[in-house]
Amino acid sequence: MSWWLVTFSRGGSARYLSHLDTARVVQRTFARAGVPVSLSQGMRPKPRISLPLPLPVGAAGLQELAVVEVPDEVRMTAEALRALRDASPPGIDVERLDAAGERHPRPQPRTAEYACVVAGDAGAMQAAVERYGNEDHAICERVSPKGKRRLDLKEYVSDITVDPVTDGARLGFTIAYRVDGAARPQEFVDLIARWAEVEPAMCGLERRRIVWDEMPPAHGAGDGRSVSS
Amino acid sequence: MSRPGRYTGGEFNTRAKPGARPRVVLSYPDVYEIGVSNPALQILYSQMNDTTPAAAERAYCPWPDMADLMRASGVPLWSLETMAPVAACDLWGITLPHELCSTNVLEMLDLARVPLHAAERGEGDPIVLGGGPAAANPWPLAPFFDAFFVGEVEHRLDAIVAALASPDRPGRLAALGEVPGVWLPGRSEGPAERQVFMGFSASPPVLRPVVPVLEAVHDRAVVEVMRGCTAGCRFCQAGMWYRPVRERPVDLVVDAADRLLDETGCDEVSLLSLSSCDYSGVEAALKRIRALRPGLRVSLPSLRIDSAADSLSRFAADQRGSVTLAPEAGTQRLRDAVNKGVDETQFEEAVRATFTGGFTGLKLYFMIGLPGETDDDVRGIARMAATAARLAREIARGRARLSVSVSSYIPKPHTPYQLEPFAGAETLRHRQSLLRGLMPRGVRTSFHDVGASTVEASLARGGPGSDRLVEAAWRLGARFDGWSEWFDLRRWEEAAAACGVTLGAFDGAASWATAVDAGLTEEFLAAELARGREGVPTPDCRDGECAACGVCGSGVAMEVLG
Repeated sequence: MSWWLVTFSRGGSARYLSHLDTARVVQRTFARAGVPVSLSQGMRPKPRISLPLPLPVGAAGLQELAVVEVPDEVRMTAEALRALRDASPPGIDVERLDAAGERHPRPQPRTAEYACVVAGDAGAMQAAVERYGNEDHAICERVSPKGKRRLDLKEYVSDITVDPVTDGARLGFTIAYRVDGAARPQEFVDLIARWAEVEPAMCGLERRRIVWDEMPPAHGAGDGRSVSS
Repeated sequence: MSRPGRYTGGEFNTRAKPGARPRVVLSYPDVYEIGVSNPALQILYSQMNDTTPAAAERAYCPWPDMADLMRASGVPLWSLETMAPVAACDLWGITLPHELCSTNVLEMLDLARVPLHAAERGEGDPIVLGGGPAAANPWPLAPFFDAFFVGEVEHRLDAIVAALASPDRPGRLAALGEVPGVWLPGRSEGPAERQVFMGFSASPPVLRPVVPVLEAVHDRAVVEVMRGCTAGCRFCQAGMWYRPVRERPVDLVVDAADRLLDETGCDEVSLLSLSSCDYSGVEAALKRIRALRPGLRVSLPSLRIDSAADSLSRFAADQRGSVTLAPEAGTQRLRDAVNKGVDETQFEEAVRATFTGGFTGLKLYFMIGLPGETDDDVRGIARMAATAARLAREIARGRARLSVSVSSYIPKPHTPYQLEPFAGAETLRHRQSLLRGLMPRGVRTSFHDVGASTVEASLARGGPGSDRLVEAAWRLGARFDGWSEWFDLRRWEEAAAACGVTLGAFDGAASWATAVDAGLTEEFLAAELARGREGVPTPDCRDGECAACGVCGSGVAMEVLG
């Protein structure tokens, strides 16, 4: 077995897919393209496909990553990339393939850059962002079926920008991923909106770039183990 | 809002024909995950887009959370292909899969801001056309539709599209009324004749179906191998409605399966029909598909018990997981009465074959409330379940799951039981209670909601005026009545009280016959009723003797592979 790192974008109508549905779309795209995928063992074998960093429902992703295990005999070629592009549904665009050995560690997200638009007073949001920079802690409470968890957003969210747009502001920020988890974009927007006294409704959330740890050296090296459009 | 992907389209194999006219929207009145799997809508969508000038788009019934949002924000129902309002289309085709979808039709009309009643619609409104199995009795929804199409529509699509070319709405409706199979409520002078697509055998199945990107109820490629079933079960509306049997050649089936797997990316293909083991080419098709695609999972959705033991041994390699068998009734007397030709020995052999074949689950389907049923017939269901449980213990040694589903029989139009009384809520509750107390331990038993069955019975044979009940229930908040989490009997009881009707009551009039001619003669239906009362079987006409049901003739005939 070897595994392919599939860099793709998710936008348009596909941004409303859940994480599991996005994985299913990747699987379907490979099947339609005629590129075989390795199956798990057991009574009900499943295609070995994973998306290491789930994208929130409603968010676009410009540089998403899928990890797909393929049998060794499947060659990574420009034709394979073209077939995948042709077989993908609207809103999913396969941009690049990189190969990695079976024993290479799986890529882990280090940081991801987000942008979104929040309606309301851009000046108030600018002030809220400045306050965020000055506070030692910015605590939010996450409620889930497992219980409540307090999270200091300052440990996760940095590199914040505010740009006025019509009727609101475009927020840019970077979230760091740690062994104990990460903040969610909505949690940060909720905090800024609360401090700015605007509605915490974001639109057009985009994940623009992800920095990965454990990315194999072939990625971007142009050594014959990568194919891009 | 749950699952926003239901409302955004973007599936594999969707068609876009911007600017094409007429613009047609096709709808299934249930949530996306159910509707997108419907084979009939896939046929219409493909054929209309690929072979006519029309642009066919789709819309499904928004889930209540989305409906609330749409109303709050003033956004009307849109189609998935163009995001344009459904109300702006030329023709809105809504398939009617069963009676409990009725309130969803009104919900969709309201969300689309199309006037609820056809009489209130004007030049700018779409023509709303109903079809599908529940159009076998259009009366409960008649005032909400401009027209109904009765039967199979494939060979009439061109004529329907051409009818929309008339410059004004009255002209379009008049032209539509000339298309065979179309019934215009309040305008047509007689019933519409059910249409039978005699090109079925020679035409390929849908080869580029829409493949959902969300998880749908059926996630597999579908090849319709046969249409119609003449086994002659007297309770079965589909068996009567889709006559005669027509089979597709094996070459066509195998080629379609191969191409469909490439088009869809599915890892399973279903050979679809009302009774796929009766398809003459089933063995040849399976053998060739297996040779083409080793390891592919092939499912046969309907197994008949009288041939199940044989089928299970032949198809075991394809049927992983569980097997469903439908004895329908608990005693030989009642099975003979309903013409379900199954005896206890065949049943035991089928159960034995299930567990010796390595299947890990067995589901048994029964009905209660059949005409002539007694408490002893209900006890017979428990006895059959006990037999199956014993065999599961002996053969599978605790590794198998056994479940029993017990539905309530609803007499349907165009069947021998069409004028028989509905068992009634009290009787059904009594028999459910009786059965609960008798079922062996370890068997998971589920029952249909008696309230929902009573509503279904009210609508299945409702005559002119029964639409008031549907509208009153919808105005009281009824929708998604086929979903237990949304069905609320109190709404329907309140609506019935307001309309002065009794739920489940039947006035004895075959009012559907004034709108729909299914092609079955009254003599045949009466003879079948009499034979059923005497317990006399009627053999499948494909085995030789014609039962004189009245369907064949005038270019309509059985087409079975030689």
